[in-house]
Amino acid sequence: TVLPARPPSPPRAQIPVSSSLPPPPPKPAPPKPQPHSFPPPLPPPSSSVPAPPPLPSSRPEIAASGFGPAPNTLTEPVWDTVKRDLSRIVSNLKLVVFPNPYREDPGKALRDWDLWGPFFFIVFLGLTLSWSASVKKSEVFAVAFGLLAAGAVILTLNVLLLGGHIIFFQSLSLLGYCLFPLDVGALICMLKDNVILKVVVVCVTLAWSSWAAYPFMSSAVNPRRKALALYPVFLMYVSVGFLIIAID
Amino acid sequence: MDDSYTGLPTSHLLGSVPAATNDANNTAKQEASDANMQTFPPNQAGDRGRGYHTLDNPPETFEEQPANNWRGVFSVSSYTQYFNVDTDVVIFRLISSFNPYGGDFFSKIDANPDLYGLIWISTTLVFVLAALGNLATYLMQKHTGTSTSWSFDVGYMNVAACAIYGYAIVVPLAYYFFLQYMGSNASLIRFWCMWGYSLSIFIISSFLLLIPVEALRWLIIILTGVASASFVALNLKSCIEGNELSVAIVAAFFLQIALAVFIKVWFFA
Repeated sequence: TVLPARPPSPPRAQIPVSSSLPPPPPKPAPPKPQPHSFPPPLPPPSSSVPAPPPLPSSRPEIAASGFGPAPNTLTEPVWDTVKRDLSRIVSNLKLVVFPNPYREDPGKALRDWDLWGPFFFIVFLGLTLSWSASVKKSEVFAVAFGLLAAGAVILTLNVLLLGGHIIFFQSLSLLGYCLFPLDVGALICMLKDNVILKVVVVCVTLAWSSWAAYPFMSSAVNPRRKALALYPVFLMYVSVGFLIIAID
Repeated sequence: MDDSYTGLPTSHLLGSVPAATNDANNTAKQEASDANMQTFPPNQAGDRGRGYHTLDNPPETFEEQPANNWRGVFSVSSYTQYFNVDTDVVIFRLISSFNPYGGDFFSKIDANPDLYGLIWISTTLVFVLAALGNLATYLMQKHTGTSTSWSFDVGYMNVAACAIYGYAIVVPLAYYFFLQYMGSNASLIRFWCMWGYSLSIFIISSFLLLIPVEALRWLIIILTGVASASFVALNLKSCIEGNELSVAIVAAFFLQIALAVFIKVWFFA
């Protein structure tokens, strides 16, 4: 049956069943021919309740946990989609870049990975470097973007080739999120053009980025090959840091 | 292998490489007799015991496969045999590449040549040349007093990447084909490995080339060029036999010197 185009009703808690039954389709308002003296015996059905806005579902496992089928994300307002993705980016950022108790366990650290966050951070870094440059702006953006994007893929392949165990896109996502400190550093360096300040800021943010990426990369490979997997990460961040300092 | 990282249940996740357990290692050793590193492209014997069963490749038909097919080209796990090195092995090979008189590099890498050195040494060299080349140009200009403003030329990165990657990939390839044509048996992976490690001495000399004295710069680059070139030439000589191929050895020597001179002239002028 074709549902009317309206925001879906919020999923209500039900007793978990093995086969998830669809909720009853919203019924049209029943005609109320009763006279005024008799109050309606039952509360009006769900369709006449003003539909509240759909919950931002940040966990796609809602359907699997016995709450009924997942809310229909095709008909939700665009702002809800954007808000959901933004909240996921923020939560992933907090997991990766800031201290939290899950850092040592790569399985838990970035369970809900996404690629929007890394995309924003890489493009932002390229744009910042390009704005800071006085000549060859487009070439600077191309070098920065190519270095970071290709670098993330090559670093992941490096770990896989060394016999490590990581998930390809999870690793891309993590390396992208670890660029956030360098983004902040590039922004500061663009606003204030003093060499000493730039060197200090880049060193601090470089150390922060490396600290963020270290536990994930080092736990993915054999301990005897840890340095082989970590050195290219360090090389990429140092080269980006040098670009930030050197762009005039 | 430690339990700490093989315990991750990742085999059901897209793009992951399943853990190689001990019994898989034993079977892989018996079946990998055809996976010798003389052949490139790698055949798919490398991942036979690891749980990748493609639909058209049931394990029992393994024996009929020729040793040099292209089936494993797009699978990452068939290239892991070229990266089967530990940190201490890589450091040992790196240090032995600084010694120009050894001539025994091929015997050191014989059992287990690796491409890790080639890829990351050349990448490091590209970055170091681009970064230090800019810095050295600025220092030289400041020293001779012509101009004191710092300008960063991003074009250095392009030229460095093309030159170093081109040299490191094309020259061993050319030697491999030439020696195959001449009839002597050569191994492409070992050539790539040796030429890759021969570039490592240029990384150190790039730091020394920052000194803005022209005569000193030429002295440094000549010394490093000769050291690196003699490393390449002596190892080539130990690898190939026959007097009629000594032209190739001399050519390798001069190619390495030409690379050194190019580095000096373009990046550290």
